[in-house]
Amino acid sequence: MRPQMSGHESDEDRRSREDLELRARLDRLSGALKEQNLDARERKAGANTDIPGAETGRALSLGFRVLSEFVAGVVVGFLIGWQLDVWLSTTPLFLILFLGLGTAAGFYNVYRIAARPMGPAKPKDKA
Amino acid sequence: MAAEANAIDPIHQFEIQPIVKIGLGNIDASFTNSSLFMVIILACISLLMIWGTSGRALVPGRLQAAAEMAYEFVASTVRSTTGDHGMKFFPLVFSLFMFVVFSNVLGLIPYTYTVTSQIIVTFALAALVILTVLIYGFYKHGTHFLRLFVPSGVPMVLLPVIVMIEVISFVSRPISLSVRLFANMLAGHITLKVFAGFVTMLLGAGAASILAPLPLLAIVGLTAFELLVAVLQAYVFAILTCVYLNDAIHPGH
Repeated sequence: MRPQMSGHESDEDRRSREDLELRARLDRLSGALKEQNLDARERKAGANTDIPGAETGRALSLGFRVLSEFVAGVVVGFLIGWQLDVWLSTTPLFLILFLGLGTAAGFYNVYRIAARPMGPAKPKDKA
Repeated sequence: MAAEANAIDPIHQFEIQPIVKIGLGNIDASFTNSSLFMVIILACISLLMIWGTSGRALVPGRLQAAAEMAYEFVASTVRSTTGDHGMKFFPLVFSLFMFVVFSNVLGLIPYTYTVTSQIIVTFALAALVILTVLIYGFYKHGTHFLRLFVPSGVPMVLLPVIVMIEVISFVSRPISLSVRLFANMLAGHITLKVFAGFVTMLLGAGAASILAPLPLLAIVGLTAFELLVAVLQAYVFAILTCVYLNDAIHPGH
């Protein structure tokens, strides 16, 4: 019975050691994966400028983004004001008010793009 | 000459034509060329992802490399924009990105139909994004989510104006998101058709037909440019989806 017990214990010991080893290996692997992801991101940032047309395309798409965000703000302001006027029959009070607010919102949208061109660079700031 | 010019209709390519007519009450639920191409897009995506990931070779083949590239590209976009919390939205962003990029690129093939050149399609995609933002935001943060519209450090006098501006800015998001994609696709395809029309018009214009290869060359360049725009717009759509989802995950500035 005794040798059996000790054998059982050593079995458990081995299992826990294997667990530890497995955990260490997992940590190592996930660390390596994170590092590789970082590397890949940096490589991509460097590779972005390789294609000459891509820069123009990116600038064009940014320009179009600015335009559409601005116009969308004005249009939404106009629609809200117009609909409020229709409901409350106060033409053109709310139309004028919301057109101004919409234009401000459009400028605000553009400002936000200019402040961080492609989304927040550091999401940690916001949390 | 005039009749020839009339024969070139750059808008014709966007017409919806029913293939199988289905009527549900007063609703026209016909299977159209648009529906057909949506099915084709889904089939292509499924084929790429299922076939590409079935091999699981250590050294990927072409298809597996494409599937892995698509995954890694979207995953790194989501992770860098929304942080690790945002990865639960990865399936949504990936589906949107793949759908948009496939419909844009497939639409560049002659005689195909560009699904994203219909504003109702892009608006449905944008509405899906904004509804996800709203529902998740309220589900996760409750009324605290409304702090999104109240920037900190604003004097009380200005607060009502600022909140109105923030709300309008938020409402304008699905509109700018959908209009941008739709307008890019529409404008690109019309430009291609108009330039192609120039070729035939110049060929029928006697001595001026020497100039006919010029627009043809322009089409070659434009097609390359449209390919860039197609992928870029899908990328912009995906990254803006991430930015908006980021607001739902971390509201408050």
